[in-house]
Amino acid sequence: MKLTLNNVEIFASTGGRDFNPSSGPVVLFVHGSGQSHLGFMLQHRFFANRGFQCITPDMPGHGLSKGEALTTVEAMADWYAQFMQALGIPKAILVGHSMGGLIELELASRCPDLITKAAFISTALAIPVNDALINLAATKESAAIAAMMDWGHGTAGHIHDHTMPGTSHMLYGSRLMAGNAPGTLHKDLVACNAYANGPTAAQSVTCPTLTVVCGQDRMTPRKTGLALQAALGGELVEIAQSGHMSITEHPFDVNKALRAFF
Amino acid sequence: MADYKFDTLSLHAGQSPDARFGSRAVPIHQTTSYVFDSTEHAAALFNMEVGGHIYSRLTNPTVAVLEQRLAALDGGVAAIATASGMSALFVTVLALCSAGDHIVSSSQMYGANINLFEHTLKRYGIETSFVPPNDPTAIAEAIRPNTKMVFGEVIGNPGMDIMDVPAVAKITQAAGIPLVIDATFNTPWMVKPIELGANVVIHSLTKWMGGHGIALGGAVIDGGNFDWGQNDKFPMLTTPHFGYQGAILWEEFGPAALSVRIRTEGMMNVGPCMSPQNAFYILQGLETLGLRMEKHMSNTVAMLEFLVGHEQIAWVKHPSLPDHPDHDTAMRLMPKGQGSIIACGIKGGRDAGRAFIESVQLASHLANVGDAKTLVIHPGSTTHSHLTSEAMASAGLTDDLIRISVGLEDQKDIIDDFKQALRTAGKLTSTQAKGSGA
Ligand SMILES: Cc1ncc(COP(=O)(O)O)c(C=O)c1O
Repeated sequence: MKLTLNNVEIFASTGGRDFNPSSGPVVLFVHGSGQSHLGFMLQHRFFANRGFQCITPDMPGHGLSKGEALTTVEAMADWYAQFMQALGIPKAILVGHSMGGLIELELASRCPDLITKAAFISTALAIPVNDALINLAATKESAAIAAMMDWGHGTAGHIHDHTMPGTSHMLYGSRLMAGNAPGTLHKDLVACNAYANGPTAAQSVTCPTLTVVCGQDRMTPRKTGLALQAALGGELVEIAQSGHMSITEHPFDVNKALRAFF
Repeated sequence: MADYKFDTLSLHAGQSPDARFGSRAVPIHQTTSYVFDSTEHAAALFNMEVGGHIYSRLTNPTVAVLEQRLAALDGGVAAIATASGMSALFVTVLALCSAGDHIVSSSQMYGANINLFEHTLKRYGIETSFVPPNDPTAIAEAIRPNTKMVFGEVIGNPGMDIMDVPAVAKITQAAGIPLVIDATFNTPWMVKPIELGANVVIHSLTKWMGGHGIALGGAVIDGGNFDWGQNDKFPMLTTPHFGYQGAILWEEFGPAALSVRIRTEGMMNVGPCMSPQNAFYILQGLETLGLRMEKHMSNTVAMLEFLVGHEQIAWVKHPSLPDHPDHDTAMRLMPKGQGSIIACGIKGGRDAGRAFIESVQLASHLANVGDAKTLVIHPGSTTHSHLTSEAMASAGLTDDLIRISVGLEDQKDIIDDFKQALRTAGKLTSTQAKGSGA
């Protein structure tokens, strides 16, 4: 669906189903740096057909949304609160991946009443990004995307073995990221790197939580995922064989964990 | 873990060793259908909510390994393997064009590609304008408001004209239409058209990709680099699908929208699927693609050295030769090698050509290219024997033309075979010359 938020045309995927926040529990998927709704391709269709009202917006500058990317995680959290208000969503289950997890932490601390449950997938309390990658995103975005695809995938991704027959993880992921407005990735990485309120925000999360941690994750390594889970309490699911892009690399395991948690 | 390189991908891409038995080779899943875990699992598969297999007309685990390997090698987001190169082209056209649409195509292509556009698609209301592949201006001028794709081969078959893919990609990008490239003659080892700006790649896997001449096959590689939502030219991708609860593929699948459409329409409703056995054969070939292509190239260089300046050879055409009209483009696009097809003319015309073909012993006289074995054909006495010299000339062929597909034999053995066959052809023509001169 398309809507206008702060004068910007925004696209939100509904997993191929009509979206009606009053006819079932709402699941709001929050994408990560340089990503879009397409990263959750194998989640939002799945849950939309299992009684959930799924909604996965593209933040400004991402995917099919227009506008310019926001520049801080705090501003992104406010944006999601406005998005929920604009669509008349009183409360939602949140599912955040990577930087989406930071946005979720911040949103939970700012507007706890909006969230019934929160799932954190392949994320951490903080996601420091090295200067070399930030600079590369500014000067040669395609090289930064290639590096992120390399670091972001585990065995299945590197061997191009996808659950959707005939598809390549890393090449699909690269095209997805290249489809965002130029400059978006750099802004996201800067925002990710600058966000320092995670540990404080985590303390104010009161809803039930699930943390999904992956054994081959080189972007938010296992131990940082475990630190997030320790701060939040709540449930923990480990996927030993997955890299950072667990939502596409190991969708069966991720969906199983989410389903049990919802 | 690393971002694997070409030769590694040729061996490994698409396959994780089988989890149950640990088979290292790709298992041949010789099955038409797959048992569902539950009705819910079946419904999820039918609705494309989860990955997996339903029926082998759509997908098959062995074929999927091949598809993923091809996507990785050509730099596409997804691939679909088909029964032949021709069906790969057909299912692509089906996803992009409808009655009333128009295609701009190279005029120098494999005959069946030309015939599909000129005769078959025309009957269904899709018109094609044919233009020289090495004339970007002519290509740009032929594009109309209802044009839905530009199509050509990087190295044209049989004339070996070269399409300047980056230059044509600029034109198609400006026109908001995809550039579809038949990459059969170059393979991703020589050049990856998607990296040069093409949007879709078609292969006949029957040729160099398989390399053994034992299995037909084709593939469509979806570059995932075209914005299907930028205009309203591609309703098959941007308006609700007839199935899948009216999914809008561009919104749901983004860069893979085209391949999903091909899978769910061309493969589903027409059905030119590849057999698992053929996928296995072609995977065996792909494992050595890099090695084979290097040898094809070095043997081609040796063959060219032998042919150029040979007293019985009237002319030699190959993109690596400085007198080839598209030499510069060829060297720029394909610095590693310019293909293993050589065209040459034998002094003495049609009769000498026939005598040469009938005298080769090691080279095989047949209608294929890209085999590991050296192949030769003389259109003047075979495929085009019914035509007069004048009619052949208008098809871009001369009656002395021999097409050579240089194989992987020891260089000396192939050249020795050509030497003796040329000697025999030479004897024949000198006797004829004496006879007619008397
Ligand atoms: C350039 C080219 N494209 C396509 C094809 C058709 O492929 P297939 O024979 O696998 O259908 C051929 C076959 O000769 C070819 O040479």
